[in-house]
Amino acid sequence: MALLEVVDVSKTFPGVKALDGVSFTLQPGEVHALVGENGAGKSTLIKVLTGVYQPDRGEIHYQGQPRSFAAPMDAQRAGISTIYQEVNLIPLMSVAQNLFLGREPRNAVGMIDRGRMEREAREILAEYGVTADVRRRLGTLPLGAQQMVALARAVMIDARVVIMDEPTSSLEPREVQTLFSVIRRLHGQGIGIVYVSHRMDELYEICESVTILRDGRLVHTGRLADLERIELVSLMLGREMSEVRRQGFTEFGGDHETPEGAGPVLRVDGLTSRTKLHDVTFDVRPGEVVGLGGLLGAGRSETIKAIGGAYPLDGGTVEVDGVSLKRPTTERAVKAGIAVQPEDRKAEGIVAGLSVRDNIALAVLSKTSRFGIVSDARIDEIVQRYMSRLRIKASGPDQRVGDLSGGNQQKVLLARLLATGPKVLLLDEPTRGIDVGAKAEVQSLIEELAAEGLGVVLVSSDAEELVEGSDRVVVLRDGAVVGHLTGDRVTTEDLMASIAAAAPESPA
Amino acid sequence: MTTTTIKTRPTDLSRVRTWLPEYGVYLAIALLIAYNIVFTPYFLTVSNLRIQLIQVAPIVIVALGMALVIGTEGIDLSVGSVMALAAALIPLYLGYGVVAAILASLVAGLAVGLINGLLVARVGLQPIVATLALFVGGRGLAVVVSDGKLKDIRNPGMLYLGSGDLFGLPVLVWIAAALVLVVAFVVRRTVFGRRLLAVGGNRPAAELAGLPVKRVLITVYVTCAVLASIAGLLSVARIQSSDASAVGLLIELSAITAVVVGGTPLTGGKVKVVGTVAGAILMQLVIATMIKHDLGPSTAEMAQAVIILVAVYVARERTTR
Amino acid sequence: MNVRSNRSRAAVLLGTVLFAAMSGACAKSEEPASTAGAGSAPAATQAVQSAAPGAATCTLDQFGGTKVDLKTAKVGFSQSEKEANPFRIAETQSIQDEAAKLGITNLTTTNANSQFNKQISDVEQMIDSGVQLLVIAPLNSDGWDSVFAKASAKKIPIVTIDRKINATACKDYLTFIGSDFAEQGKRAADEMAKALGNKGEVAILLGAPGNNVTTLRTSGFKDQIAKIAPDIKVTFEQTGNFSREEGQKVAEQLLQSNPNINGIYGENDEMALGAVTALKGAGKKAGDVKIVSIDGTKGAVQGIVDGWINAVIESNPRFGPLAFETATKFFAGEPVGQDIIISDRAYDASNAKTDLNSAY
Repeated sequence: MALLEVVDVSKTFPGVKALDGVSFTLQPGEVHALVGENGAGKSTLIKVLTGVYQPDRGEIHYQGQPRSFAAPMDAQRAGISTIYQEVNLIPLMSVAQNLFLGREPRNAVGMIDRGRMEREAREILAEYGVTADVRRRLGTLPLGAQQMVALARAVMIDARVVIMDEPTSSLEPREVQTLFSVIRRLHGQGIGIVYVSHRMDELYEICESVTILRDGRLVHTGRLADLERIELVSLMLGREMSEVRRQGFTEFGGDHETPEGAGPVLRVDGLTSRTKLHDVTFDVRPGEVVGLGGLLGAGRSETIKAIGGAYPLDGGTVEVDGVSLKRPTTERAVKAGIAVQPEDRKAEGIVAGLSVRDNIALAVLSKTSRFGIVSDARIDEIVQRYMSRLRIKASGPDQRVGDLSGGNQQKVLLARLLATGPKVLLLDEPTRGIDVGAKAEVQSLIEELAAEGLGVVLVSSDAEELVEGSDRVVVLRDGAVVGHLTGDRVTTEDLMASIAAAAPESPA
Repeated sequence: MTTTTIKTRPTDLSRVRTWLPEYGVYLAIALLIAYNIVFTPYFLTVSNLRIQLIQVAPIVIVALGMALVIGTEGIDLSVGSVMALAAALIPLYLGYGVVAAILASLVAGLAVGLINGLLVARVGLQPIVATLALFVGGRGLAVVVSDGKLKDIRNPGMLYLGSGDLFGLPVLVWIAAALVLVVAFVVRRTVFGRRLLAVGGNRPAAELAGLPVKRVLITVYVTCAVLASIAGLLSVARIQSSDASAVGLLIELSAITAVVVGGTPLTGGKVKVVGTVAGAILMQLVIATMIKHDLGPSTAEMAQAVIILVAVYVARERTTR
Repeated sequence: MNVRSNRSRAAVLLGTVLFAAMSGACAKSEEPASTAGAGSAPAATQAVQSAAPGAATCTLDQFGGTKVDLKTAKVGFSQSEKEANPFRIAETQSIQDEAAKLGITNLTTTNANSQFNKQISDVEQMIDSGVQLLVIAPLNSDGWDSVFAKASAKKIPIVTIDRKINATACKDYLTFIGSDFAEQGKRAADEMAKALGNKGEVAILLGAPGNNVTTLRTSGFKDQIAKIAPDIKVTFEQTGNFSREEGQKVAEQLLQSNPNINGIYGENDEMALGAVTALKGAGKKAGDVKIVSIDGTKGAVQGIVDGWINAVIESNPRFGPLAFETATKFFAGEPVGQDIIISDRAYDASNAKTDLNSAY
């Protein structure tokens, strides 16, 4: 009998079908990998399992019974626990208090029995490899140990199912091994584990089965051992969609002409940042589109931001047209001709409360002003030019950007970047979350800009888009460059092979 | 019949919801004025207009600066202390003349603003914490500077600022009006004003767009403190004495109230200059009405509380829409 | 990173230094300070109202203390409020001056800055440090039990001045020296009635709400007006919080909407002075509206000289001489009164000019 079974579940949010007829089965004592790129529906599925969301359609069976969880507390009481990336405990309380929060052992007069609580906490945590003093405040423990406490707490509440959402993202390699031994023990106790991660090596080490989601749909479920890495990656990234796309989905054409003998417009050398980036080096020539490939968390967005001066660096240099940016800040980067389109449009891109005009003119205010006073005539000229060139659909330049569609918001953002007259354009997921028509428009715009001689760096989780849009692809994994695809090798097959290649010994 | 009512009602309601936060404050002022015209003797007179404008002027000046700070998603608690500091320095420097005394108090505002701005923009403290330091320390310093004593002001130039007339209106009111125009112009027409709104609307986006975010923030806090010091020196001129322990007491609350009631959201990205002035006038009218009808101070406070709650509630409606 | 935070730290420091510089050496005031001068002027000492026969007294035997020579004794004085108003300045000054005069070298003075907890701990610390006489200007009338317990264990006599504490005299504390606030209000009413010729409309500028000084000065005034001049109507009572600015604001509003008001009673001098500024702003002339107030500060007495204020009832803050005189008598074994009510003077046009220097 399956421990937890989800049958044909759908969940729609305004404008997005987050889950579309997804089924999923978890056996007792099974470690089941749940994978997919951003927006594939993983987190929605987890939230349906834990009672955060109610599915629009479909059923949940738990221990053989049809169940519905009205709230996260319901699911938790029934024995479904979730361990999130960031620990959901109280950092200012002691380890023991956290472990027993709400279920503290009482003595004869009903007072909390501290001695017993601490003794039991010590015994329990020892099994999880945590040897720290249980009277210490939780916040003073290393993150890995905190995660173990969270896990111990989850299992103590008599959990039958534990969902782990990227549990290793902030752990040291040694801590990962401790986590795995705990998982193996839970497995032995018949507890079912849903394991969400992007790290191939971990998945193959610890998981027995896998369910792959893409665009809210189930694309594959089965034993993990039967699936080669490359197949897993191709399923995640949507290789089989390529036929559809060939019929006119991407607007990207062939390779771009690079002026003979022109030096690189952007040279990135040895970018290093604590744990996130390790010696990232590449360059971009004018008129060239260089793709940054890799899975989620490989360091693509960090690289883009670091080049734009918005990510702290411990080392490395950025050169535009042969001129080095000393101590890069966003202000200097923009002045040097670098334009960054961030991945999260709403949080870091548009200013939703301001008008289309103000958003487009934002970065060129000083250019369109005299003595600090803005000239609306000059601004309107620029705004008009880009609104018509990018075909921005708004009721007029005065409309609030927050009221536009995702595609038009993205175009407004691109208009702002182009208005600065950049030499290098860094695009992080330029077509994510926008409709098909706008996607095609944005893609052909990138083509056009490259043809005009801009250097473009493109990040896309859509393998097709990346491969067709880029002249070269730099592949990143764990913050380091692990591959470089040029010429005939710029294909989805080569990209996936490069991404899936087994990691060398994990960096110490 | 029934179908038509059902159809029109929601649109009417939603129209009211967008209209109310924008213009509710003007409606409230109109209602209060109408009430006073009917029930308050000598309300519709020039002398009354003068008094209300004179009394509201310092609050308007402080609220202008506060509106800018709130526009960046910040808050400045130290304005009352800045007023006290400015007030404390006036009698100390009046020996050199009016101009010197005014300059001294403006420099004090500049210094406080610089500290606030650096703490917020560079050190990265939350505005409420950063400005709390000088909210507490500033007034203490002012009391020390002034020796804890109330000092009478007799310099004619200083007194002219507080009680003189120019073209039939008090100088004080002219100054406040001029500052309103300047701030309105800055917000609408200058690079700094537009950058301020972008920083308040979405700071990471403003940063990525290459705006000098820190410089904008520091300038905003300096502007706010300098405006507060202007309000402080004008208060001294009006009361004809300098009392560091009393000048500007609790004005930060009046200023924040004026800004919020005037329709500027605390979430930043928007600054309503005229609304802020209207907010200050509304609160002034409430107090005037209470005094003229001899109601107790607690009644006035409760009325103010109700107005604030309504303003905040109305603003909430807009964000959840 | 480090460079940056150092720079901002330096800037913050610079700001602080700037303040220090501005408030220090290069300042130049409008004129030599004229508002102070509590020390040098021929100060009016407090006089005791003739005590009713048979009023309770207290002797050293009753209290159970030991004889102490004040000259060598350790004496503590606890001030309640910030010395931002003339009353508090003069009060502290008077204690310090009198101690100096008597040759008391070991005087500790603390200021609670209007925080009651601070006053309690101030006093407790002084007790711990071994003071033999305590003079307290209490911020609150209640909440002194812990202090009394400590003081009575060591048999330290406490003289409370200007505000009374709700406790037993001659046991918890030795004696209270202060004014009768209701009496002050009553005398203000007499002056107001005289100034108005027993007819007119009067507005009251109330002190801080919930303060017993406010309550007593209001009830004393209103009761007396009702008794002696029923044709005077109190038409407005609005708080000015004992502050000049608020007194001015409220007076401006009142005068504008009620041109009939011909008398203003300020429950302290500061508010009355605010009202004077308001009157000037409204284009009134001195004497158009009669003003009576309480306290007797120099500014208000000057107001009488200038013709804007009709009368000021004094609330004498110079407790020094009387407090130490009482203590000396007590340690000498003589009986002292448990409730020493001082007689406050009054200023009007007849004596303002000559007595200006004795105002504080």
